[in-house]
Amino acid sequence: MRKTLSKIAIGIESTAHTAGVGLITSEGKILSNQRALYVPKEGGIHPREAANHHSEKLPDLFKSALEEAKLTPTDISLVSYARGPGLGPCLRTGATAARAFAYYHDIPLLGVNHCVAHLEIGILEGATDPVLLYLSGANTQVIAYAAGRYRVFGETIDIGIGNGLDKFAREVGMGFPGGPKLEKIAEGDVLLDLPYSVKGMDLAFSGLMTAAKQKLDSGHSLASVAYSIQETAFAMSCEVSERALAHTGKKELVLGGGVACNSRLREMADIMTKERGVKCFVPERALCVDNGVMIAWLGLQMMGADYNITEKDNEVDQKYRTDMVEVTWR
Amino acid sequence: MEIKYRGAEAIVETGQWLGRKVIFKTRNKRGYRHPILEKRLVKERLRSESRIIERLISHGVNVPAIYGVDISNNCIIMEFIDGITLEKALRGNDFEQYLAQTAKLLSLLHSLTVVHGDPTTSNFMVTDSVYVIDFGLSTVSDDNEARASDLRVFLESLDSHHSEISGRDIFLSYYSEWSSSALVLEALKVLELRGRYNLMRG
Repeated sequence: MRKTLSKIAIGIESTAHTAGVGLITSEGKILSNQRALYVPKEGGIHPREAANHHSEKLPDLFKSALEEAKLTPTDISLVSYARGPGLGPCLRTGATAARAFAYYHDIPLLGVNHCVAHLEIGILEGATDPVLLYLSGANTQVIAYAAGRYRVFGETIDIGIGNGLDKFAREVGMGFPGGPKLEKIAEGDVLLDLPYSVKGMDLAFSGLMTAAKQKLDSGHSLASVAYSIQETAFAMSCEVSERALAHTGKKELVLGGGVACNSRLREMADIMTKERGVKCFVPERALCVDNGVMIAWLGLQMMGADYNITEKDNEVDQKYRTDMVEVTWR
Repeated sequence: MEIKYRGAEAIVETGQWLGRKVIFKTRNKRGYRHPILEKRLVKERLRSESRIIERLISHGVNVPAIYGVDISNNCIIMEFIDGITLEKALRGNDFEQYLAQTAKLLSLLHSLTVVHGDPTTSNFMVTDSVYVIDFGLSTVSDDNEARASDLRVFLESLDSHHSEISGRDIFLSYYSEWSSSALVLEALKVLELRGRYNLMRG
């Protein structure tokens, strides 16, 4: 590690439902983690309305983050924002806020990959070379570092696990976010027979959610269907991450993404890693969900490795894949 | 007995059985899974694995022979293939030859309506020729999408582990020698387009 003065970065997150502004030092001290969640009145996320929400909330989030940290813009040496992947209008809103702040206060600006930020926050927790089980609304991936990049070893081949949970919850009349609501009512010990779809290190969830709806329609209680969905979907997720651990020979697992807030999933991951003799890192819930802190932290890692900012880094990219990022900082 | 590999669903041990060196593949308990689900999966996979291997042996495919199944211990006793994994073999100079043999082997499996389910580079063994192992996730199916999913799993493991060689084209060109491969390759295109945030943008 090179010796550098402590630096502070501000991170702006706006890839989907969450508008977030976070502040962190280069030593990993979190100074503020401000978040605001867009909740659709009905149906799923509406990209334009989510973007409107973010543009309304972001100025206040900046303000309260700086206030909480007792800082002024001149204390900040990097503005980092999530370039992608995510919804176009939401990404552009966050990028515009980041640019305005950076140009006005004359601070370097850097766009980073949202998925990689989820993984790097696990490294802040003490992991060194982990496999990341990344479970969120849109993303369901098993990621690990190999030959200069974070590679996607397995991922969903249809819908993200969180999307599946939200969609099922919506269909049975619960609001957004569906995952936590299902977790609250999930109860029982009788497991209903649902499709368990693991293909190598890839997963599929849409068949599981359809079958779950059919179970409900055929008279099973919502509590036991919710319970069976969790048991099945999380066991699938643990199995693919164990497969990735076996395949890569790595000794650490990091959980990330909104679905990683689920207590049953955390418990399963804990059992799996204990049985396998590997370490499990579970960031606190506020750092598992989308947040500005992880964006700021990844920006600092990249700048610490003398990352050369190009024009490309100032463009949002809706389909910015994990494995497109050249990892220069480790 | 000596533990060779602790996989994601089974422990693979080598040992002696009636004077031969054999593999004991024991599906051990996964504590994170609900007991009912655990029981269902272990039984399904044990049964289907041994049946599929039997089917392939009868067609003379390069797979380990099955010597016995110990149902009470969830254990399959099978032939020990004395070689290195394809993953290791591909790091050498003969990788093109191994990729060709693997492609032919996988297309042979598919033509016999077996979909492997987890054909990563760690699930092929190289001796004097290439063997395919671990049928824990295999199914009997002639569905082109399932076959395409096999190709995707293989290509992904190639991508994520052997990024320094461009094995994709070599592999697919040998796979396409199989007369029914066109529909599978078509399904692969669709499957890859469906992948999230991929680079083949519309």
